[in-house]
Amino acid sequence: MSRAVDRSGTWIGWAFFADLGDALALTFGYMFSRSVTMQYPDKEKWLPYSRYRGHHFLTRDEEGEIKCVACELCARICPCDCIEVIPYEDEKGNRHPAKFEIDMARCLFCGLCEDACPADAIALGQQYEFSSFSSHDLVVGRDDLLGKPGKATTGGGVVAARLNTEQDVLVETSEPQGYNWWRNIRRT
Amino acid sequence: MELVFALGLIAFKVALLIAILLLLPLPLTWLERKIAGHMQQRMGPMRVGWHGLLQPVADGIKLLTKEDHIPAEADRFLFKLAPILALAPPFVVFVAIPFGESVSVLGAEITLHVSNMNVALLFVFAVIGIEVYGVIFGGWAANSKYAVLGSLRTCAQMISYEIPMGFAVIGVVMLAQSMSLLEIVRAQADVWNIVYQPVGFFVFFVAGLAEAQRIPFDLAEAEGDLGAGFHTEYSGIRFAFFMVSEYAVMLLVSVLSVILFFGGWNGVLIPLPPLLWFVLKVAFFLYVFMWFRFTFPRYRYDQLMAIGWKVLLPLSLANIIITGVAFL
Repeated sequence: MSRAVDRSGTWIGWAFFADLGDALALTFGYMFSRSVTMQYPDKEKWLPYSRYRGHHFLTRDEEGEIKCVACELCARICPCDCIEVIPYEDEKGNRHPAKFEIDMARCLFCGLCEDACPADAIALGQQYEFSSFSSHDLVVGRDDLLGKPGKATTGGGVVAARLNTEQDVLVETSEPQGYNWWRNIRRT
Repeated sequence: MELVFALGLIAFKVALLIAILLLLPLPLTWLERKIAGHMQQRMGPMRVGWHGLLQPVADGIKLLTKEDHIPAEADRFLFKLAPILALAPPFVVFVAIPFGESVSVLGAEITLHVSNMNVALLFVFAVIGIEVYGVIFGGWAANSKYAVLGSLRTCAQMISYEIPMGFAVIGVVMLAQSMSLLEIVRAQADVWNIVYQPVGFFVFFVAGLAEAQRIPFDLAEAEGDLGAGFHTEYSGIRFAFFMVSEYAVMLLVSVLSVILFFGGWNGVLIPLPPLLWFVLKVAFFLYVFMWFRFTFPRYRYDQLMAIGWKVLLPLSLANIIITGVAFL
């Protein structure tokens, strides 16, 4: 921009439209620079960072038993009241949730349930493709939560992917990191 | 027999011309969206066909199947007349446009124009002037404030810019000593008119941008402040008519620039077929139109008037005088 101002300051630049010429040169240059479009979901997909707060998941301990002790702290701290826990006691006297439902339509993904959990049982994972035509489908139960993918170890990159109408957008690459999307941004 | 053959040839040429003009907006809209996308570091249409090549076809089908809506308060007759009035003149103008010297096919001499008028240039400007009625009627008949504002602007804009445009080509006519477009191109066989008439070309092209209602002079449809200007209330096929008309005028201004100032089908340095040279030059000007569109902002209304009357008109008059003096 400063170049245009400098050049058009002289009358000769003004007479020959130096500023307009600079503008045309700039757009012409941009026409051949890389596109910043991420072609989601046709060709590419963004993988979230490990700190990303996506779909909740419940974890199991080493014996395969659900870690949750049904203390209901997550339900209590939840600002939008979307977690419902009903406890039961098994034969050894351990508390576990009989029912653990999260209403994803109400959830605001603040991650307070993860912070409050004393047993590290609930956390927010990296899955973000779970839109639905019906809000009833967004109420997710205990067994579904146990099956959800956990935290990502790497992330923040764009990887090759393919649109699949049945499931999510499938990632089609062996390299888990992907390329850094910001490298396509032109900074001049 | 001779007469039947001649008439058949004219009918064939007219049909071919109409087909080309009706189909050309398809690749042009695709190109415009692609160029827009890449200039803004986007990709443009990508999903329908290879790199979105079939996107204009999909858009065309959408426009044809949409409800043809006429506002309740509209003047129904004028509302229906306006798109046709906007569409027909740009098509008619191409009757007078030559696309090359005669070629001989199977021993018969075939001219690459429908009609070689000796006042072709006058015909072009006279007929293209009618196109503005489509825009004005369209805006008036819709009975909407945005549309009326759009057509009011068009009235003023067209009056201001037809005059310098007409004056700008007088220099070319003086050089060629003829108003026939064929003669004008033949006169540029050695040196193109742009060398002798740079100011004339500048005035012609700026006025042509205004004539085609392209940015930076698209005040008639200024989507930022007027909705869509004169065709705010149009939908479906009638909207498509306006779009085709817009692209036909854009093509016309490009073709006229090439014929009047850039030597028509006369090549330079690289020996290519004359028709290919012509198409390449026209394509370049179409690109320039799109390039301008995605580079410049729109001029304000008073700036538009000031440029038309205070800059272009004196420039074109001075151009005529200087050309005349040089001839003496």
